[in-house]
Amino acid sequence: MPNASDTEERTVEGTAGRSAGGFTPPGWVRNATLVVGAALVLLFPELVPNAYVLSAGVIVACYACTATAWSFMGGFTGYVSLGHAAFFGLGAYGTGLLIRDLSLQPFLAWLLAGLIVLVVTVPVGIAALRVRGASFVIVSISFVLILLLVFQAWEDFTGGANGLNVPRPFADLYRPDHHRIFYYLFVALLAVMLLTWWVIDRSRFGAGLKAVREDEDKAEALGVPTRDYKLAAYLISATFTALAGGLYALWFGDLDPIFQFSILLGAYMVLMALLGGARNLFGPLVGAVVVGTALEYFKLEFGDTQLHLVTTAALLGIVVLFMPDGIIPAAGALLRRLGPRQASIREVTAEELLARNERRAAAGGAGAPEGASRDAPDGASGGAGEPDSESEGGR
Amino acid sequence: MDGTLLFQSLVLGVLLGGLYAILAAGLTLYFGVMRVVMIAHAAFVILAAYLAWYFHRETGLDPLFSMVFTVPLFFGIGVLIQRVLITRLRPATLTMMSVLLTFAVALLIEGLLGLAWSGTQRRVQLSYSGSNFEFFGARIAVVKLIAFGLAAVSLALLFLLLKKTRFGLALRATIQHREAAQLVGIRTDRVAGVGFGIGLATAAIGGTALSLDATIYPSLHWSWIGPLMAIIVVGGLGSIPGTAIAALVLGIGQSLLQVELGTTWAQTLFYIALFVTLMLRPQGFFGGRLAQRF
Amino acid sequence: MPNRRLAKAQRQRPRAAAWAAALSASVLLVTACSGDPRGDDENVILIGVSLPLTGDFSEPGKGVQRGYEAWVEAVNRNGGLLGKRVELKILDDQSAADRVVQDYEALIALDEVDLVFGPFSTRLVIPSARVAEEYEMLFVEPAGAANEVFEQGFENLFYAAPAVANDHYNHLADHILSLPEDERPQTVAVASMDDPFAQSTAYGLRDRLREGGLEIVVDEEYPPNTTDFSSIAAKINASGADMVIGGTQYQDAVNIIVQLRQLDYQPKLAAFSTAPTNPEFAAAIGARTEGILSPTGYTPDAPYPSNVEFVELYQEMFGTPPAEDEANAYTTGQVVAAAVEAVGCAEQGECQERLVDWLRENEVETIVGPLSWDAQGRPEGAHLIQQYVDGEIRIVLPEETQEAEFVYPKPEW
Repeated sequence: MPNASDTEERTVEGTAGRSAGGFTPPGWVRNATLVVGAALVLLFPELVPNAYVLSAGVIVACYACTATAWSFMGGFTGYVSLGHAAFFGLGAYGTGLLIRDLSLQPFLAWLLAGLIVLVVTVPVGIAALRVRGASFVIVSISFVLILLLVFQAWEDFTGGANGLNVPRPFADLYRPDHHRIFYYLFVALLAVMLLTWWVIDRSRFGAGLKAVREDEDKAEALGVPTRDYKLAAYLISATFTALAGGLYALWFGDLDPIFQFSILLGAYMVLMALLGGARNLFGPLVGAVVVGTALEYFKLEFGDTQLHLVTTAALLGIVVLFMPDGIIPAAGALLRRLGPRQASIREVTAEELLARNERRAAAGGAGAPEGASRDAPDGASGGAGEPDSESEGGR
Repeated sequence: MDGTLLFQSLVLGVLLGGLYAILAAGLTLYFGVMRVVMIAHAAFVILAAYLAWYFHRETGLDPLFSMVFTVPLFFGIGVLIQRVLITRLRPATLTMMSVLLTFAVALLIEGLLGLAWSGTQRRVQLSYSGSNFEFFGARIAVVKLIAFGLAAVSLALLFLLLKKTRFGLALRATIQHREAAQLVGIRTDRVAGVGFGIGLATAAIGGTALSLDATIYPSLHWSWIGPLMAIIVVGGLGSIPGTAIAALVLGIGQSLLQVELGTTWAQTLFYIALFVTLMLRPQGFFGGRLAQRF
Repeated sequence: MPNRRLAKAQRQRPRAAAWAAALSASVLLVTACSGDPRGDDENVILIGVSLPLTGDFSEPGKGVQRGYEAWVEAVNRNGGLLGKRVELKILDDQSAADRVVQDYEALIALDEVDLVFGPFSTRLVIPSARVAEEYEMLFVEPAGAANEVFEQGFENLFYAAPAVANDHYNHLADHILSLPEDERPQTVAVASMDDPFAQSTAYGLRDRLREGGLEIVVDEEYPPNTTDFSSIAAKINASGADMVIGGTQYQDAVNIIVQLRQLDYQPKLAAFSTAPTNPEFAAAIGARTEGILSPTGYTPDAPYPSNVEFVELYQEMFGTPPAEDEANAYTTGQVVAAAVEAVGCAEQGECQERLVDWLRENEVETIVGPLSWDAQGRPEGAHLIQQYVDGEIRIVLPEETQEAEFVYPKPEW
């Protein structure tokens, strides 16, 4: 499991966390956290009291995949896509249609659907990124709406509003076993995404994307191939979303355009990623667990009324207005404000950043050099990442 | 397609295009004054339609009279949204975050409408809903003509306001170059607030017009916001005349295509126009250079 | 005890990623515990249902709920099932497919209900029937009338109503085709919602008429959320069809009729599914209902003994006569009860298979007459045809049960 490999590379993991912020808990805390977290995630199917909770776990894992996939674009480049449900739906329908029409092996169809979405996204991405900002948003929403129309209207091919039935990849399985298998499949997909994220975060490519996020004009002036980078991030994000959609199709079995190409699903992705912190490795995952679990709980207890729409809307508004960097950074900031060394950490000046970078260069990436000098207060939680120093300073 | 059916569709297209024009005008106005893509615009349109329906159901009066309340109310809400919400956002991320914020407002309205009146489809029950008269072989429904008239009159008023008044001058200056407008003493914040209010007032008018001859349900606004966003991009972001022209052209196009392709496929026209515009002429076919910078 | 294991895990977890996982587990456990699993009360048979009680389908959904409640009341007054009291657990799904699946999952796995009844709306039957199938539960449903439902290979599914959707208009088709050639309508325009139920009803009639030699001049289809019917109406009007068939739910029928009236189109026959039986229908289309046709599977006046009881009880409980949705729900209860009484068990596990086997082999007396099923769970019967005559909706076909004469051609609207 890639999860496990994350935890083995303790030094590298420590550095990655720093590159996103500059303030990390000691290495062993992070590693222990990861080990326990991964263990809990992996043991979850054994811990649950009944199959219903397991099925809810599958849903949350699926949300976590989509939110993480979303933040490849939304987190790295700051381009907010409200239409990622389009890729989710395409992946789901692509998988289902390939199985139905070409009788492909289900998981082969799944991978192929991901590839098809990758190809389809190229022209969409080019159109969306032709003009900065506003048109990206307009295209992203329009893309969902157009696909909703097409998949409803093109009845002969997609099954229209009657929906599409995706045959079970594992026939005649008792339902709880089916859930268990798909839970692990979603977790594996999530692990691959997290690993990819982590690699990109440390790469030149990742640095370029973050430069786009902070100041696209300056990045371009400095020679960052902004258009290609943005397009590449968009493609990665779309493909991962499609893969999550394909798995969902194999798990759930019944596709309906209204639910696969739903604006609301796109909104959930944004909310989860932003709430957890789209710039953090684990931010979207945390957001998905919080929002996904809450959604499932409230829908079961209070029925699927419009209330969850209102709550989603209110939460999204609050996040956008008051903590656009997410809860992990917001909680971190709060802790630091309450903690002993507030002033020195709240604002990171250019000199401090330079000094820190030099120290890091000197340490050569071995160990966690600042661990000793920058201990988090004991018992502090939610310190997995930090708001970007750049954006903090730019306020 | 025979001649009568073609002409009938053309007439329906013009009537529809008028409605699109007034609705899209508001949307492009927000973008002009604040660089904000106001996703909640269509949700407010549907809200106004619901208020008109509710007003009619409760009082028995013609739904058109509901505008006496909704237009000032929406104007106020518009000013408030700009002053209280939009200005809170960081300028650097304004475009993206305002989209999310107005998106949240749209969801909120949809959810509240659902809570208040359930998701059941509603329709104003008018005694003259089926009335029609002949016009060179085509049939024109009275309700559709009233809606078109309402749209045409308010669009004309909006033009006059922008072209003939001092406020209009200030507004146009703000749209064209905010910093320069500030330098010559225009209080752009206030102008932007009022601009937002006017935009939302058009939603009230458009929603009332819509309610006369449409079935409404809370999530209907998604099928309006898509075409409206396409219209303002095709027309050139921020350009009101461009928007009006694009609205008419696309409305007629949709109506003609509907006969051959059916309702659903015809609606894809908007999105195809959107993608083609972005590929060929990102600044829009009728608009100014605004879009290039944003 | 999973709670204790969790508490231990919480003590161990140091930080961030851990609390993500722990939170997920803990919140889910809260969900699990608050779900109120029964188990202690041996004298209750718990029946799980998911229905749209809010949102788009809340009206028919509540109708089905009333039907189920009336059945529970009737059973408990007569000493319950197998001597045990019957209780319902109803969850609200708002007609969302993802929700209905989670609801049945929760009912079966979390609440451990003894039996499940089907949900409302055809499109939800297939996903929820699959859950039941994979938990090996008997699935009798009041609303899945479309052909697709019976083509999924479900082994546990039974539709508790007299006829599948394709056969709803059979009496009307027979009647039209029995008219002399020169009096018949010659051309037909069809517009149907892209919905399994609506389509099946309209296309059943369309296909019979086409085979009978009538010409289908317009055949349109629209997605469920369509609100603009002007172009469909323009096409129907331009075709000048003698007869119009609407595969409709409710609001779409109203819109089509209003748009057709705006174009001054006057057909000789107009048949719409579902909508005309809605109490608000007349007001919604401006009271021009005269002559509009609609199929129905139920009439409160039906002479079957249990129906008399049902109508009386329903009147007493809700103050109005029951409609079709209520009747189908009640029928569902009757069918399951017959199997339970005959087999002598009602719980999860192998009992369910015996219930299924019993229903395959036997005929059940219900408020809509005796019901029996083919191997896929299709009932074998036809629907009655109603028409607005003198401002009231009356049964006009078949002739032996008619309450009024069939009006043809239809007066202007």
